[in-house]
Amino acid sequence: MSTPESAAERPAAELRGISQVFGDFTAVDGIDLSIRRGALTTLLGPSGCGKTTTLRMLAGYSAPTNGTILIDGDDMTRTPPEKRGLGMVFQSYALFPHLSVAENVGYGLKLRRVPADERARRVAETLDLVGLGHLAASKPKKLSGGQQQRVALARAIAIRPKLLLLDEPLSNLDARLRVQMRAEIRRIQGETGLTVVLVTHDQDEALEMSDDMVLMRAGRIMQQGAPQSVFPAPANRFVADFLGYENFVSAADGTSLTVRPEHLVVEPPAGGAGGAAAPAAAGLHLPGTVTDVAYRGVDLLVTVAAIDASGARVRLVSDVRATGTSSLAPGDDVVVTAPVSRLVALAD
Amino acid sequence: MTRTSTPRTSTTVGAGTASTAARASKPARSSKTPGTGRPVAGTLAVAGYVVMIVPILFVVATAFTGGRTLTFPPQGFSLQWFEKAVTYAPFTGALVSSLQLAVLATVIALAVGVPVTLAIHRGRLPGKGLIEGMFLSPLIVPELVVGLALYQQLMIGFGLANFPTLLIGHTALMMPYAVRVTGASLALADPSLEEAARGLGASPVRAFFTVTLPLLRPGIFSAALLSFVTSFNNVPLSLLLQSRDFRTLPVTMLDYVQQSYDPMVAAMATLILAATVVVAVVAERTVGFAKIFGGINK
Repeated sequence: MSTPESAAERPAAELRGISQVFGDFTAVDGIDLSIRRGALTTLLGPSGCGKTTTLRMLAGYSAPTNGTILIDGDDMTRTPPEKRGLGMVFQSYALFPHLSVAENVGYGLKLRRVPADERARRVAETLDLVGLGHLAASKPKKLSGGQQQRVALARAIAIRPKLLLLDEPLSNLDARLRVQMRAEIRRIQGETGLTVVLVTHDQDEALEMSDDMVLMRAGRIMQQGAPQSVFPAPANRFVADFLGYENFVSAADGTSLTVRPEHLVVEPPAGGAGGAAAPAAAGLHLPGTVTDVAYRGVDLLVTVAAIDASGARVRLVSDVRATGTSSLAPGDDVVVTAPVSRLVALAD
Repeated sequence: MTRTSTPRTSTTVGAGTASTAARASKPARSSKTPGTGRPVAGTLAVAGYVVMIVPILFVVATAFTGGRTLTFPPQGFSLQWFEKAVTYAPFTGALVSSLQLAVLATVIALAVGVPVTLAIHRGRLPGKGLIEGMFLSPLIVPELVVGLALYQQLMIGFGLANFPTLLIGHTALMMPYAVRVTGASLALADPSLEEAARGLGASPVRAFFTVTLPLLRPGIFSAALLSFVTSFNNVPLSLLLQSRDFRTLPVTMLDYVQQSYDPMVAAMATLILAATVVVAVVAERTVGFAKIFGGINK
């Protein structure tokens, strides 16, 4: 064992050059990833991006074709799941239907030969942590989806895992419960101090929950960092697109620029002065024509067809707060502007 | 804690009222269906039951006759034929033989079939479809052909005694049930369950015994029940592979009917029927038909 300082600084897990190839399909393509101890890391991306495959390799359910997996500094690349000491919550929860809630939560402790009285105490403690102490004797099928999810969490936490792995844990819950459970998982993580890796395709979930977020596409990491640093500065078009940047234009020098719909201003042309696009230094300034106005309750989306500085046709979407309802209608000539501080330059 | 418990209570109340409403609306709808809703389907169903059940009732009734012949209506009431049936040595001997054969063949079929099912559904072996097809083929191949082949190859060719040959034949007949019924319950079970057990520290063997097997129990129970009944009722194979020392109950009863036409056979048939009903009731009480034939503990 090393000194406490270096143990605290050492990553909870590391993936080095990890690939997973199924036949002629490369699910994960040589990724390097370091999981910060005590932090919540999300693997975010569309389906098929390799995020779940990465989580399953970390858990030991499939072996990487290439690369090394270190958990707590130990090489566990070929270690079977039962010897890794990780807690996993499955998308389907995978609660044992023939066992009660308490037996589900105590399953891992029983295998670890924890004496019955201590086991009972830890099961009760863990169920209280997730707020289900009163349901210990129930069978899983009697519980609601949200309650089942908490049992699955408790079962994974009870073994005091080195890492808590969550595979799309909230995707089977209804919208309101999903939002509640985000805060709930953060609270549990805070109280237990666990290192958590969470897989999701929901950018809002990732933004709200992550300490570190890792955006993946086609088996590769596209960008990673804290939500506060990734969201305002997407590195490339994929990340921007995934995070809801809907407007992509080329500057006069060929640089790709993106801007969020809520930062794009659509106005009637200022008497006769509108026309040529202003230089990039002054921000975005393009003339165009409104093609669609969509009322969305809180928002009002105005779609504008325009020609950018490179001469390409672009479709721009502006999100106007519906409270300040504009009088714009399809066919209107407008000027679309965005301040330079809101424009993000993309690598590709 | 209080923050999370409040919305949970409100959802429970919502779900409660919804299900009460569903329950309240149900009887109104279902009371319409049998009488007025579908006259053709209803009549056909009744006709079907009559065709299936009435002949059985005739057999049961004649078993209780006080007379000497298999005629309807029975003449008087007596249990004499039951007494004769249970003390008639060829019947009791054949019953023991049938039970031995059915139990042994069921055990072997499950001991082979369950691992095969696991390999087909969970393993990574090539040609899964072909393997499954092979294990299901006894459903299609005529039993007389199987019987003749076994007779020719095993009994004549290898000089195997008729009991082991019958055991092989009956076991083969049961493979489709062992593989298909347990397979159906395995296909319904969430593969993540075994992974969850592994992740919590269970070795593959431990995961099988603590999670997979308990989940498969209703499937295995129903496969056993179907296998047992298949063996116990089988005539073609048992007829072809019989010998002087080993004969199953259906074959013995068939022999008996050819020689003497008295109500003892009806009495024996009634006893078998009663035993079957008992097994069915026990199965329903312990596991439930929905689970047995659905095959999954969910």
